[in-house]
Amino acid sequence: MGPTGGGKTTLCLALNGIIPHSMGGTIGGRVLINGRDTRHHSVPELAQTVGLIFQKAETQLFNMTVEEEVAFGLETLGLPSAVIHDRIDWALSLVGMAKYRQRSPFGLSGGQKQRVAIAAILAMKPPVLVLDEPTANLDPIGKREVFAAVNHLRQHDGMTIIMVSHESEQIAEFGDRVAILSDGKIAYLGSPQDIFCPPQTIQSIGLNVPQVSLLADCLNRKREQQLRLIRLNEAFEALKGIQLVVPLEKKPPESESDQPSSPQFVIEDLTYHYTGQQHALDQVSLTIQPGAFLGVIGQNGSGKTTLVKHLNGLLRPVTGRVLFDQVDITSRSVAQLAKRIGYVFQDPDHMIFSETVFAEVAAGLRNLGYDEAIVADQVKKTLAEFELHPYAEHQPTQLSFGLRRKVSVAAVVAMDTDVVILDEPTSGLDQRSTDELLKILQRLNRKGRTILMITHDMNIVARFIPEAVVMHQGKILAHQSTRDLFQNDALLDMAQLNRPQITQLARQLNSPWPALTPAELCQQLLDPEEA
Amino acid sequence: MSVAVDLFIPGRSWLHQTDPRVKLLFVTVLLILLILFKNLWIMAVILLALHLLHWSAQTPFKKIWFIWKTLLPVGILMMLLRTIFYPAGEVLFSFGIFRLTTGGLTEGMVLALRIFSMALTVFAWLYTTTQSDLVQSLVRLGIPHAWGMVLALALRYIPTFQWTYTLISEAQQARGLDIQGRKGFQRVWLMMPIFIAMIISAFRASNQLAMALEARGYSSQRSKRTTLHPLSFRPADYLITAILLLIFGTLLFLYFWSGFGSHPILLLS
Repeated sequence: MGPTGGGKTTLCLALNGIIPHSMGGTIGGRVLINGRDTRHHSVPELAQTVGLIFQKAETQLFNMTVEEEVAFGLETLGLPSAVIHDRIDWALSLVGMAKYRQRSPFGLSGGQKQRVAIAAILAMKPPVLVLDEPTANLDPIGKREVFAAVNHLRQHDGMTIIMVSHESEQIAEFGDRVAILSDGKIAYLGSPQDIFCPPQTIQSIGLNVPQVSLLADCLNRKREQQLRLIRLNEAFEALKGIQLVVPLEKKPPESESDQPSSPQFVIEDLTYHYTGQQHALDQVSLTIQPGAFLGVIGQNGSGKTTLVKHLNGLLRPVTGRVLFDQVDITSRSVAQLAKRIGYVFQDPDHMIFSETVFAEVAAGLRNLGYDEAIVADQVKKTLAEFELHPYAEHQPTQLSFGLRRKVSVAAVVAMDTDVVILDEPTSGLDQRSTDELLKILQRLNRKGRTILMITHDMNIVARFIPEAVVMHQGKILAHQSTRDLFQNDALLDMAQLNRPQITQLARQLNSPWPALTPAELCQQLLDPEEA
Repeated sequence: MSVAVDLFIPGRSWLHQTDPRVKLLFVTVLLILLILFKNLWIMAVILLALHLLHWSAQTPFKKIWFIWKTLLPVGILMMLLRTIFYPAGEVLFSFGIFRLTTGGLTEGMVLALRIFSMALTVFAWLYTTTQSDLVQSLVRLGIPHAWGMVLALALRYIPTFQWTYTLISEAQQARGLDIQGRKGFQRVWLMMPIFIAMIISAFRASNQLAMALEARGYSSQRSKRTTLHPLSFRPADYLITAILLLIFGTLLFLYFWSGFGSHPILLLS
């Protein structure tokens, strides 16, 4: 684990010799893998000892069928065809992808693609597997699939697994040892328990810890206990039997008084399908009030992006209509709508093109034809808000992924639109950057801006987002408050979504009013006097 | 939500099973014939035959339609230009300096049919040949493996780049870049942000691809490679090759000996 720019990827690349063999730079010290010095063995040789899996599945799959994908490394090793066949069968069945042997990798889901990438490396039978944030871009199902596959490899095949991840709860579940990389150094090294308890140490460098560790810490401080919790089942064992106290004033709030204001977006019976495909959206209706902060959640392919792309005209309805401030948006171009509706794309690299961060953030405003004085003023304000001002004259393409992400959000926020739509703006960000971003969005929301955010991270939904739209197979299953959502078993099951760990624990402990944050559950676990 | 078009269409048709070298031979010879022949009827027959070939290889209708749809504007444009600028034969219709002539019209049609036939020929190859077979067939012809890989990867990334282009242009429009309704240089100039972002993306992708290749032990220097499905000529492949050579040989002989197919309308001149 480690904050963005901490050196995690660099370390991974050093483990299989890409550093120093294929990248410029200087290396000091040495890396020994099973006694072999990486400096004296080529990358292709080392590939048989250390298998390396990257974050983006798309960029590591380059063949036309799953079978060829897995065969590629084995062909490089010069193995006879019969052996290759056996290895393909073996590797694909280990990751649960045997059925897909003849399929094209591009048609697969994110989790499936990542599992094919793992199989392609596995087939070469390296004793060590290094995975660089393999689940960062996956939906909840994909994450579950990949973690299950990797854990299976460790338990049944005795492989050594080195995984970079921000998923502290999964690390606590599966990891033996955790190294924290910060500023290019190993800041901490220890068992998950040592790392996550107490949580302040690694929170202070911007990383997240399992929610139950936060809960334990809260309880410890109030009660002078020494709870060291990192896993859900431990927490349940330690806390079961405690009578939960639900403070009266914190009973579920009555449904908010209906706002008299007219809705900002009205979506009526919207249906859309991509050429030659099933319905991506199937008779969807939704009303969004001005000033709402709305999460859009659901698995990949459930229609989230397709839905929000209709709000700024990037997609045009096949049937149904979209009203923005009572006006059908069909009559307006994307560029016209851009004045009032900002849209942050999933991949920051699809947005960034300027020579400096300043110019990048200014580009939208300039497109809209604002006066240069206003542009300069607005850009400065936005850069300060995002704490990007030290980078104003830097080249955005040279920045780290986390900073590029920030620039791409700032570039849209600078346009000061009434509505800001964000497509998975936190994937690949560490905890601190995520929290900072969400706080900026909350501030914008308090100023009356409508925020729509697609996300796979249920912790973010629970902590920051008051209401959510749940999508499944092109339909909207529900549009309700976050608290109601996480109480609704049937709904979560159908959309195959996970609860945040703390909400899950609260339900196991029979809380009448499931907590959304560790602090809330901590309150409920304390006697009123203690609290 | 990638809707990328793959070139290769998985299948078990006879054309899929034919050795890729035979297919490469077929493509090469047919392209030569298509360039040599100038006869409308022969072109029409070849075009029809190519459709039958695709049908026998179980190419889905929409993949054929994709070729037609993409090439239709080019085909029509070429036909019109040819018809207008190379008048010959009887004048059917005239308007100012433009004359629609029988010769021009025939040659225009031959040209259009040739374009479609060439595309259908190449796609009969790409649709039914896996990437590794494609590379292997080139390697067996003496082309270094790395070059074959470059070709295969280029083909593989065309749909990816199309998709990236769509996303990037959407991203720029969503920031108020107004390219709709603009024409010519102004449009190209406005699209610069899109091109720049494309190039940066491509560099980033190629970097990651290079690392992914290395992680699979690939190195351009190493030539000792085996393959999952080694190429081997089946009896059917010898038969197909023999039939191909016979047909093409005959046609070539007729072409050079009697001028068969060199006249726009008449079969023998």
